[in-house]
Parts: sequence; C-alpha cells; structure tokens
Amino acid sequence: MIRFVVSLAVGLLLGLGVGLYLGWVQFPKEYINSPARDLAQEYKNEYTVMIATGWQADRDLPGAVERLRVLGVENIPQYVQGVTERYITTSRDVRDIRVLVAFSEALDRLTPIMEPYRQLNITGSSS
Amino acid sequence: MSRRSRTPRPPATLPEEMPPPRSRYHRPRRPFSLWGAAIGLILGISVGLVYTWTVNPVIEVSTEPWQLQPEDRAQYMVGITLAFAADSDLNRAVDRLLSLQAEWETNDPFQNVANTACRLASTGYVDSNSGLRAIRSMMTFYQLQGRTGCADTLLPASDLQPTAIVQVELPTPTLLPPATKTPTPASSPNATTTQRVLVVPTSVPQRSFVLADIATFCNARISGMIEVFVQDFGSIGLPGQPVRVRWDGGESRFFTGLKPERGPGYADFQMEEGRGYIVEMPGRSDPSQPLTAGPCTDPNTGAAGVTSYRVFFLPAS
Repeated sequence: MIRFVVSLAVGLLLGLGVGLYLGWVQFPKEYINSPARDLAQEYKNEYTVMIATGWQADRDLPGAVERLRVLGVENIPQYVQGVTERYITTSRDVRDIRVLVAFSEALDRLTPIMEPYRQLNITGSSS
Repeated sequence: MSRRSRTPRPPATLPEEMPPPRSRYHRPRRPFSLWGAAIGLILGISVGLVYTWTVNPVIEVSTEPWQLQPEDRAQYMVGITLAFAADSDLNRAVDRLLSLQAEWETNDPFQNVANTACRLASTGYVDSNSGLRAIRSMMTFYQLQGRTGCADTLLPASDLQPTAIVQVELPTPTLLPPATKTPTPASSPNATTTQRVLVVPTSVPQRSFVLADIATFCNARISGMIEVFVQDFGSIGLPGQPVRVRWDGGESRFFTGLKPERGPGYADFQMEEGRGYIVEMPGRSDPSQPLTAGPCTDPNTGAAGVTSYRVFFLPAS
C-alpha cells in the first residue's frame, strides 16, 4: 500500500509539472472575442497608421477619431502624437511617419520632432 | 588469477529450497507501483491543465487581430480598406487581412471583406457619412478583386458615386421690369356687383426630408460653422424651412433664407469648440450624427480653426 501511495504521489507531482508546462507554455489558453484595446501594441500602431492613411484620402477627421476610439485610449490626439514620435524615434517607414505627422498636425499635435517630416498641403479646401 | 571452486552444489532436496518458477504470479517485485504512477500522472496533468486554463491562465498581453471580437474586427477591416483606398498598396492590404483571418473563416480574405461589408450595410453603421464612406471603400476593395456581397444591393448604385461637394449656384437677382402705364378704365357711375370668391387658406404641404450629405471642411475665417442647405429637386433652395440644432443642454431653431446672399435655402449656426451638435429639420427629417466641433488646421493658410460642416437636406422622394 505504501508503495502505491508513494508512486501515486510521484506521478501526481510529475503530472502536475507536465500539466503546468502544457497549459502555460505549449498550449496556453487562446483568447478570442477580445476587445481592440487588448491588441498588441504593434497592431495598435498598425491600425493607427491605417486610419491616418485613410484620413489623408477622405479628410474625415471626426470619423477617423471615432474609429480610433475602439482602441480604448482616453486622449486620442495625445495617443496619435505618441505613436508618431515612437515611429520617428524608431526609424520606421518614412511613408508611415509622414502620414502620422500629417494626422497629428490635423489633431493640433505637431511637435518639433515631427517638423522634418511635415509636408506642405497643397490640396485646396472644400470651402 | 583466482581459481573458482569446482565443488558442485548439492541438489535441492526440499521443495521450499527450489527456486520459484517464472510465471505471471511470480515476477520480481518492482520498487514502485505502475498503477499508482499512472493514476498520479493522469491526475497531475489534469489538475495542471485545469489550473492553467481556468484558474490561472496566461494573461493575454499580445492579442492579434484575428482574436478580436467581431465588431472590432470589422473596424480593423475598415481601417485596412480605407488605407488601401488611399495608398492602393494591395500587398500590404492583403498582409493585413491575413493577420485578421481566423482559422474558422473562409480562406478568401476578399470574400471576408465582402461578408463584413454586407453585415455592416445591414446595420445602423450606414446611417453616418463616415460609415457609408467606410463601406464604400470596402465595396471598392472587394469589387476590384471580382467579389460580390449583399452590400452591392443594400447600397444603391447611385450611392457609390461620391457626393463630395454640392455646388450651390447662387441665384442671380433679376430686377423686376418697371410697371407700364396702362390707361385707367373710365369708371362707370353704376356699380355692378361681383360674385364674392371665398379663398380658403390651405396649409403648406409638408414633405419629409432626408439628410443627403454632411461634408466637413476647415476654414479659419468661418471656423466652427454648420452651414445648412435645404434644397428642392434640382438644387433649388427652399426658404423658410425650420432647422433645429441641439447640443448637450440646449437647442436653437432657425430658418433658411435669412441670408439671401448665400441662397434662399441657406442657414447657418455657430458652434462652440469641443461640443457635439445634432442637426435636423424638426419633425421632417431624422437627426444627424453628432457633429463635433473639433480642432483643425486650415489647409490654405495653415491657421488653426474649428471643423465646420455643410449639411444638405433634400426631399425624401
């Protein structure tokens, strides 16, 4: 009987270790139906670039801001400024930087570090 | 080199001295119980998995787009197609769509866009201009790849044409011709009775209007202005039409035609920065989406201003 109990305990400990490894490392729980605010920062940046690029075409600033609200950030202009400066300081694609700088400028968040990437807007206004 | 003893061992004489025969009942005893170890292992793995999957799962810190809830995935897809509409970079758009594609979806990312556009087009998402523009960008995207979806039929074909700016032709005032002198008929001394005609006042026919378009613009000279145009068929401005603007804690009613220099169907309203406003023709149109008086930069002068809007109301049918 003692032999059985000892074997059970050893098996239990071994199994526990294997189970923890499988559950935390090899097959961790995958979440679906997550809100956009839980997106990885890289994808949040990507989404912001997409919205800024779209804004350059349609100039629908309220619409763009509304679309960024899904990221769950409180101060969207400040968030866009942060993403833009991060793109500049990490030397990302210059096309994306220019788009973000223009978007930041539209949100009244043009900072000195963005100035070199600022483009003159030569398109006419609709008024 | 040692020499082994060659003395033969005496044969066993008693049964208890004979070695037990090797049979399933007479295996050598193992130092551990196989059954015990197996049961323990299974129990341990089960407990470990329950603990790691339900009690204390890994905290998700790097959610990928395909893991998003359906509404947010649709928003992400809208972002992809809007960006494509601006940069026409199909490779990049497809890469982004693949990051959005879940295992249970079809392998055709373009058809997924069509399906999502269909779903959005059948909801209130199209009630706003931004939403309509987003769905149009999705339609353009999947149609270019030869796909179709129910959004093609839900949104009329005429809606696919951009209605960017409606040019309002200001009417040219024409002077009334001077009155011509006509001879006054000689009055007859005998008055004759004429049959009285009763004029029964009729109410002005009420028609429904639809909010046809909302265009944004930024002009530092007319900062934060809502310009309302109420037009009849053929872009003819309609004067005297009531317009209501509501905001958090107040409202204002005014009428078109009070600024004839901008046309008979024109009226405007000055917004305060940071507020949201809803425009409607009270009782005759649906209210607009909230118009936010957000900051903007005049693209001509570079001066800071507040976003302005042009709102067009047209007869419903």
